[in-house]
Amino acid sequence: MMPISGDVSMFFGALPSHPNHRPVMPTFLCSKARLDHFRSGASDLKVAPNLLQMKLPDMNSTNWSHVCFGTGENKLTPTVNQDAEVFLLNVVNMSFFDRLSLTWRMLFPTKVRNNSNAKTAKQRLKMMLFSDRCDISDEAKQKIINNIIEALSEFVEIDSLDKVQLNVSTDTDLGTLYSVTIPVRRVRPEYQDSEEDYIGNISNIEYKDTGERSGNIDVKFDFFLPSDQSKRVKWVSDK
Amino acid sequence: MASPFPRLLPSLPFSPSSPPPRIFPGKPLPRLRAAVSAALQWNRKPQLAGETPRVVVVTSGKGGVGKTTTTANVGLSLARFGFSVVAVDADAGLRNLDLLLGLENRVNYTAVEVLNGDCRLDQALIRDRRCPSLELLCISKPRSKLPLGFGAKALTWVVDALRSRPSGAPHFVLIDCPAGIDAGFITAIAPANEALLVTTPDITALRDADRVTGLLECDGIRDIKMVVNRVRTDLIRGEDMMSVIDVQEMLGLALLGVIPEDSEVIKSTNRGYPLVLNKPPTVAGLAFEQAAWRLVEQDTMTAVMVEEEPKKKGFFSFFGG
Repeated sequence: MMPISGDVSMFFGALPSHPNHRPVMPTFLCSKARLDHFRSGASDLKVAPNLLQMKLPDMNSTNWSHVCFGTGENKLTPTVNQDAEVFLLNVVNMSFFDRLSLTWRMLFPTKVRNNSNAKTAKQRLKMMLFSDRCDISDEAKQKIINNIIEALSEFVEIDSLDKVQLNVSTDTDLGTLYSVTIPVRRVRPEYQDSEEDYIGNISNIEYKDTGERSGNIDVKFDFFLPSDQSKRVKWVSDK
Repeated sequence: MASPFPRLLPSLPFSPSSPPPRIFPGKPLPRLRAAVSAALQWNRKPQLAGETPRVVVVTSGKGGVGKTTTTANVGLSLARFGFSVVAVDADAGLRNLDLLLGLENRVNYTAVEVLNGDCRLDQALIRDRRCPSLELLCISKPRSKLPLGFGAKALTWVVDALRSRPSGAPHFVLIDCPAGIDAGFITAIAPANEALLVTTPDITALRDADRVTGLLECDGIRDIKMVVNRVRTDLIRGEDMMSVIDVQEMLGLALLGVIPEDSEVIKSTNRGYPLVLNKPPTVAGLAFEQAAWRLVEQDTMTAVMVEEEPKKKGFFSFFGG
């Protein structure tokens, strides 16, 4: 079936558009497959999960043109093995011709479609339009900075007023971004997170044994207690 | 405002149960004839929306995208629908609208002479013999010195004079704007209430169109509609040219019409016979007529996606590539 040996694992890098998948493996780009490592007679078949991304003849999940593969170390996790088994079950049930075409497509993948001119032009135009449209005067910039400093001084103590900056930049997804960088020394006392809120908080839970198989549960977690040095108590006295 | 669907068939004036009127072979009954033509809706004309006269400036920013062609063809289509149109060539230095309409030999008086008092306004308006509802007004003669005195106020005065002329205000005043965003542009947009932005799907024209949109909105013209000219669907299919949907997304303007690239435009310019008068009509001519229809009814269109070309597979394509 598939000429993969037990030592070398082939894994595919593909865009994870399958809804059940987490992108476990990083994507690797390579032009040719190195098939000279393979030996026949696969005993322990380890196939990467992203093989499920391949467009099987009866499954129409992913864009086939983005699949490419490479060879590497055998670093598969337990979930990968489960997915590989599912994939193999599917493959075994396919007809001979389907498996043949699958093999063919694995060995000779269609190359990734290069960026079209239209898309490049659209990107460039977007960048230019955003930068053209956002021409703000220096006076307005200064006013924005002053307003923001005034608004923020109520909550925090600002480190040095000279270092506050306003930057206009463009981002492909969001468009024009105005970012104001303000160095902060500390939060004002009345707005600081009171430790009393955290009393009794449980965090960092680690399950060593969930008890499904053995019947015992082994858990480690953190329990918050306020330290004496940083204790803050609010005195409310009735007069 | 605009009715995107055709009017429903009006009810016939006579009920079907009554005996049909006898029609003599030579003299059909006028009532039946009116009913039939109303039912079949032939020779339908668009309904004018908005207050007359509608002053529309045709601008683009970048030169060479097809402003003057659009002005000439849309103006002529409007005239053929039956509306009275005055086309003004607001380019004081270099004028081309008369060439496109084929009226360059008949330009004797221009707006500069009207302002000086050498002639009357109706003497400066050149009526087209092929289509009498269209009139052309040029700003100045090309050989005279550059008329530095023709500014925004002068053009506004001319448009007001047209509005209050004794023979009645025209339904449409189309102002052909010069290229660029300098004094000529500012002059041309001064009297206008609406704008027609002509652009092509390439990146330079779109950037300039965006700038012009900003300037128009600063000036107070909010009603800006877009015409995308010189569209090549084969390049769009091959993903080499931006599609009209992309253009609409980038500029964010309402779309009035999409004109495909047609070599007939050049041929008709050379002959001085505008494109929309061609029989049988060409693709671009039909598109111009539809755009004119939408302009009258203050309607807009939405762009549709061009289907991608199926990838041609060679013999060895299964080897990858």
